[in-house]
Amino acid sequence: MLFEALMIAILAGVAGVDLFNGLTHIHRPIITGPIVGLILGDLEMGLITGASLELVWMGMAPLAGAQPPNVVIGGIIGVAFAILTQAEPQAAIGVAVPFAVAVQGLITLLFTAMSPMMHRCDELAEKADWKGIDKINYLAIGVLFSFYFILAFLPIYFGAEQAKVVVEVAPQWVMNGLGVAGGLMPAIGFAMLMKIMFKQNYIPYFIAGFLAAAYLELPVIAIALVGIAIAMADYFKSQQTVTQATVQAGDVNDGI
Amino acid sequence: MAFNSEAAMSAKAKRMLNKAQESSKLDVDEYQDQSPGEVLSRDDINRMAVRSLALQASFNYERMQAAGWLYGLNPALRKIHKNDTDMSRSMQLHMEFFNTHPFLVSFIMGVVLAMERSKERLSVIRAIKVAMMGPLGGIGDALFWLTLLPICAALGVSLAMEGSVLGPILFLVLFNAVHFGLRFGLAHYGYNAGSRAISALKEHTQKFSHAATIVGLTVVGGLIATFVRLQMTAVVEVGKASISLQEDLFDPIMPKLLPLAFTMMIFYFVKKGVSPLKIIGGIVTMGLAGSYFGVL
Repeated sequence: MLFEALMIAILAGVAGVDLFNGLTHIHRPIITGPIVGLILGDLEMGLITGASLELVWMGMAPLAGAQPPNVVIGGIIGVAFAILTQAEPQAAIGVAVPFAVAVQGLITLLFTAMSPMMHRCDELAEKADWKGIDKINYLAIGVLFSFYFILAFLPIYFGAEQAKVVVEVAPQWVMNGLGVAGGLMPAIGFAMLMKIMFKQNYIPYFIAGFLAAAYLELPVIAIALVGIAIAMADYFKSQQTVTQATVQAGDVNDGI
Repeated sequence: MAFNSEAAMSAKAKRMLNKAQESSKLDVDEYQDQSPGEVLSRDDINRMAVRSLALQASFNYERMQAAGWLYGLNPALRKIHKNDTDMSRSMQLHMEFFNTHPFLVSFIMGVVLAMERSKERLSVIRAIKVAMMGPLGGIGDALFWLTLLPICAALGVSLAMEGSVLGPILFLVLFNAVHFGLRFGLAHYGYNAGSRAISALKEHTQKFSHAATIVGLTVVGGLIATFVRLQMTAVVEVGKASISLQEDLFDPIMPKLLPLAFTMMIFYFVKKGVSPLKIIGGIVTMGLAGSYFGVL
């Protein structure tokens, strides 16, 4: 178990760095899920659990910089425990969310603890020591890596056995209830997206998208392409209005 | 952001400028050496774009991305400012408060480097930098978090759910094709256009956010119907007939009626300012209670 826990902890460290730096999005559950699955010897379970957790976090992005529950630890711990305890993919959410929320709190502490470092940076800037600034950034990446490494290692190495017992004891309705909750979680992300975008003049597009999926059962990619087509039509229409306006203005100014 | 009025935006820009000035340690406004700096090569700009990936390495609540921002500019700044006094002035300027969208930052970096090279006044560079932070944050949210990520994730998830490893791979490839294309493309565009890019940005921000919002909201509508799962399992006995609430009551009205209603309810809470944590807690409680009483 030590080897597996270490491998998962390294994955968490890399993913944690990617969450803020790199942003290649290898930190999303849809990627970390199957990797954890490979490490623990159950790729398929990792894939499916990762995909279900991806849905939970869909839309929970750092909008305007506000930190949502931590997707790295939530995804990795959720998938790891689901595989280790041989629970259903949906039950992963029961483990993932509490951990993700706790880490969200710790991140706030980390960002606060990093503040005093800025004064060191000021001194370095005054001395034009740009290599020093570089080093502080490398150091900070190291801190981020260790932070996630430890947070993933401890619960998996020490908690897997206990978690197995808990899952075995838990009644069926609890597991079922967590599954139901998991199915509802994506609504939070969507609601947060809507908070920003849902203005009166955009409501028709929202309705069209919903109907296309609910009645026509179109896949998401088709709906996205339809959305792009509408946006293009809208753009060309606005271009036309602009051109007409310029032509009219041009007439007055000697018709250039 | 196209979602805000002009007035709200300029008020925000003013607040940001104040914030940057508060953290300023500079008492000069000009570079000693006024001759234009060395021309930056394509490699220099690419290097800057690569470094921009570490923008949030030292993220903190006091200056936010300032140190990571400076990290991205460092090698190019050294090439531009050969004497230490000017390098120090420039570094102090860029250690001021900074926060923008982590994807589109390379665009501001390009513009700022063009201005540094032509040795603009420090206060002008600061003003331009701060003026771009807010609008780019808005476009970035609309483009990356609200449109690109949900679409790529939805594609990946639908494949992964069937047990195909193509799902995660497709997700990564699609997302990063757009991500790195924009990051490098905008870095060069920003540097080549210099401060002219500002008017272009101003002109296109509105149209761009508008288009991204159309695509984004269409997709969100579809995602609700596809991925929010809510089904009544309760069966009501009326005399001898038993009526399944889901199949006999809700489905005939409209498919996916309950997921839509539920999402609108959560939307209402989010708008009211209820914290996502409380909402998560509420959903788990609802799931457990619904399962215990056999309605969900």
